[in-house]
Amino acid sequence: MKTRYGMVIDVDRCTGCGACMVACAAENNVPPAAPRATARTGITPMLVHKVSNGLDGEGRHEAFLPVTCMQCEHETPCVTVCPQQAVQLDPATGIVMQMPQRCLGCRYCMTACPYHARYFNWWDPAWPQGMEKSLNPGVAVRMRGVVEKCNLCHARLHAAQEKAAAEGKREIDRHDYAPACVEACPTGAITFGNLADENDPASQAAHSPEAFRLLARLGTEPKVYYRSKRSWVRALAEPKTAPGRKEVQHG
Amino acid sequence: MFPGVDGFHWTFAHIIFLSVFFTVVLTILGTLAAAAVHTAGDLRRGRAVEICWKAEFAQLPEAERHCRHELAGRVAERVCPNAFDCRHCGEYAHYAALPAGGTGIPACVGQAQTLGLNYPDNRFYHRGHTWVAPQDDGTLMVGLDDLAARLVGNPDSLELPPEGAEIQSDGTAWRMKKNGHTVRVRAPIDGAVVETGGPEKGWYLRLRPHGAADLRHLLRGPEVSPWLAREIERLQLQLTPPKAGPALADGGVLVPGLMDAMPDAEWDTVLAGTFLEA
Amino acid sequence: MASAVLTDRRWIARGAERTSTAQFALWLVPWVALLALGIYAAGLCLYYGLNQTNMDNRFAFGLWIFLDLSVIALGAGAFFTGFLVYILGRTELKPILNAAVVLGFICYSGAVAVLMVDVGQPLRGWFTFWHPNTHSMLTEVTFCISCYLLVLTLEYIPVLLRNRQLGKRPSSAVFEYRLHHLVPVLAGVGAFLSFFHQGSLGGLYGVLRGRPFAFREGFSVWPSTFFLFVLSAIAVGPSFLMLVTAAVEKLTGRRQVPSGLLQRLGFLSGVLLAAYVAAKSIDTLIWLNVTSPSVGFAPWEYYAYPPFGSALLFIEILLFGLVPAALLLYPRTAGNRRWLLTGAGLACCGILLNRFVMTVQTLALPTLAFDEFLRYTPSWQEVATFGGLIAYGVIVFSLSYRYLPLFGQEKREATDVSGR
Repeated sequence: MKTRYGMVIDVDRCTGCGACMVACAAENNVPPAAPRATARTGITPMLVHKVSNGLDGEGRHEAFLPVTCMQCEHETPCVTVCPQQAVQLDPATGIVMQMPQRCLGCRYCMTACPYHARYFNWWDPAWPQGMEKSLNPGVAVRMRGVVEKCNLCHARLHAAQEKAAAEGKREIDRHDYAPACVEACPTGAITFGNLADENDPASQAAHSPEAFRLLARLGTEPKVYYRSKRSWVRALAEPKTAPGRKEVQHG
Repeated sequence: MFPGVDGFHWTFAHIIFLSVFFTVVLTILGTLAAAAVHTAGDLRRGRAVEICWKAEFAQLPEAERHCRHELAGRVAERVCPNAFDCRHCGEYAHYAALPAGGTGIPACVGQAQTLGLNYPDNRFYHRGHTWVAPQDDGTLMVGLDDLAARLVGNPDSLELPPEGAEIQSDGTAWRMKKNGHTVRVRAPIDGAVVETGGPEKGWYLRLRPHGAADLRHLLRGPEVSPWLAREIERLQLQLTPPKAGPALADGGVLVPGLMDAMPDAEWDTVLAGTFLEA
Repeated sequence: MASAVLTDRRWIARGAERTSTAQFALWLVPWVALLALGIYAAGLCLYYGLNQTNMDNRFAFGLWIFLDLSVIALGAGAFFTGFLVYILGRTELKPILNAAVVLGFICYSGAVAVLMVDVGQPLRGWFTFWHPNTHSMLTEVTFCISCYLLVLTLEYIPVLLRNRQLGKRPSSAVFEYRLHHLVPVLAGVGAFLSFFHQGSLGGLYGVLRGRPFAFREGFSVWPSTFFLFVLSAIAVGPSFLMLVTAAVEKLTGRRQVPSGLLQRLGFLSGVLLAAYVAAKSIDTLIWLNVTSPSVGFAPWEYYAYPPFGSALLFIEILLFGLVPAALLLYPRTAGNRRWLLTGAGLACCGILLNRFVMTVQTLALPTLAFDEFLRYTPSWQEVATFGGLIAYGVIVFSLSYRYLPLFGQEKREATDVSGR
């Protein structure tokens, strides 16, 4: 059976606590921000945005939208533009795999990504003394000058595959593999699974009428879905004309 | 990039892209290689002198490249297309057959026969201001003509080729140093050096030619004075101080030892024009 | 002219008039200082990382990419002049060919040098050759620009070997002669490569599906920006060449090229610029009315953020496009040197504005519904590197002018005694 890993994020359940961001950073060995780092130069493969319906006063509603790499399936922008194929769509899993070892740091993929889901290592990674003990041994640390992004915690998939192989099985156990953000979310807002399997809860959630994808009109076929009962949240899928929709990023 | 490298696929786009790229790179490197190989071949076959002269000739100003037939009045205007090598010029015979001074334009205007300079009739003259005198024993004497000798005067030092050295036409015959300028005198003819002379002897080299000496490219007889007239005009222009503007003197003979007499003139330019250097 | 003072006279062609060694050294001093500052700034970036710049995750491309694109477009005069002279046989442009080659060499070598600082891992530059991505415009650009820089170097070598001292050795002179004979091949290859990389630089932006401001439809895999960039590059190349030549003439106080040559360059520029304005206008109309709305952006929405108002569009197409085309084509203005140079200058401004807008405005504009319009100011290290590139160009060009036969036959012209 074809495997296409994806997520459905229930915006109505997201409290904006940011646990997913912290778990992501811990799992993927993201270094502490350099002293001069800003919101625009930090590395946040999972980034929670605070969004609103644009009104002020009584009618104002707000929500939180966790944004990560959308794992675009069709004509993946970053894959198309990388001059040295440092990012590839894995045909076996559908995960858009970034290879920092091959990355030149030209940042063309970053201009191509419509979701701003890619992050550049503007500094050399540095951990305060002692903190290097918290590094995840399964994930390689990146050096300065390369681009990185969410890869659906591929090390965990790898671990699940090794476990299945040790048990003599060909397919992994669905419960053995979940990215760190999914695991950490206290409200269970993120449903992760195989979107190509119609029995998978993630696949079913993705097909619900309240599900939407960001910038679906671009035709990149992202595999990260959102769902919300609120229509104004669903309207965030496509950009509106009013320039007054400036929002503050969370974290 | 190549089959065997991780991730390579034989897609149509790959084939087109890589074949274009390799064609382009091979063309560029091929050009460089061709130039290098030809150069090595030229150097090995002793064609360096000939090619250097051709290249330098092309860089001379047009005013210094007029055909001898124009000087002789056989044709109104013609720039030499052949680096003064009349021996291998396809059109030499055609122009040589025309009557001298026959185009109605006088070969020179109101100038005395050899302008007070010593240009014996039995010598053949090269555009680089050397002369060749064939001797009875088959050797060729080569010397500096009177105009050049008066310009340079007494050289400070002389660098003559050793006996037995091969001299190539339009290559270097000998070098002279004067007042900090190095003059490279162009050889008028091919040959092996039999004997060397100096300014005091009145000649500089005695050469033994290979086979019969071909002197067709050298000026002789009525061609000499129109050429000299042009040369003197050139010198007058080049030696005039810049502010004065060109001033053609009437009559007047070149003073011997001009480099000593006019130390502040643009000798770089004058010597280059006289001895055919770009 | 033997002098006890330290002089470089023996490096200068006989009969060529140049300022004294001391004056030339004085001219070079501020440029060398600027270059040193640029090298220092670039060194900081290479040593400490790109955090020395003000680029960030949202402004992944900044001043340097704008600089590279502009400089490569301005250097298009090299390949275009070579194409016209060697492939189309327009020999009246021959006197300016050497200068065009040197200018092109400066532009491309400088651009590549700045690119090496701009990327995060310069030592991995060869990875593009080892793992090329045939779908990526940037792969195409990398291949073409590398090859073309090689072509320009090979075209520059014969000019270098015509230096009085460098060309002294017979082997150098013979090599120059042989290479010079093959230059038409290089010119053809250069034209082919240039067409593709000038276009692909435009294609870089045109394929960005996620940036509707830049995205364009086109012909097969090539967006319209591919063709617009080529057209604008060949339109502005002759203009830039003209400006540089005029600057040399002004600084040296001497005419360097046959009269009418600059006007000829202006005419070429004008014709191509007019074609470009027409093409760009059509493309803009299609983009505003068809392409952009199809991905959810209404026209003029891009220009809602000051100072990037819609005036920018009109300035680019009219003031820096139609006006210089008119100035360069209309005989009355084209015949007047001041208007000619103004036209050329405006054309160059148009290219700079176009490249700026495609780089900076593209990235400033929001793409997601909850994005905001962003601002970016280059850091001093970026500006200093930019300055260093300009200084490098001035220095190389000055040295080339002083020691090499850059502009036709200028020496010993006063000796044309026959009155012709």
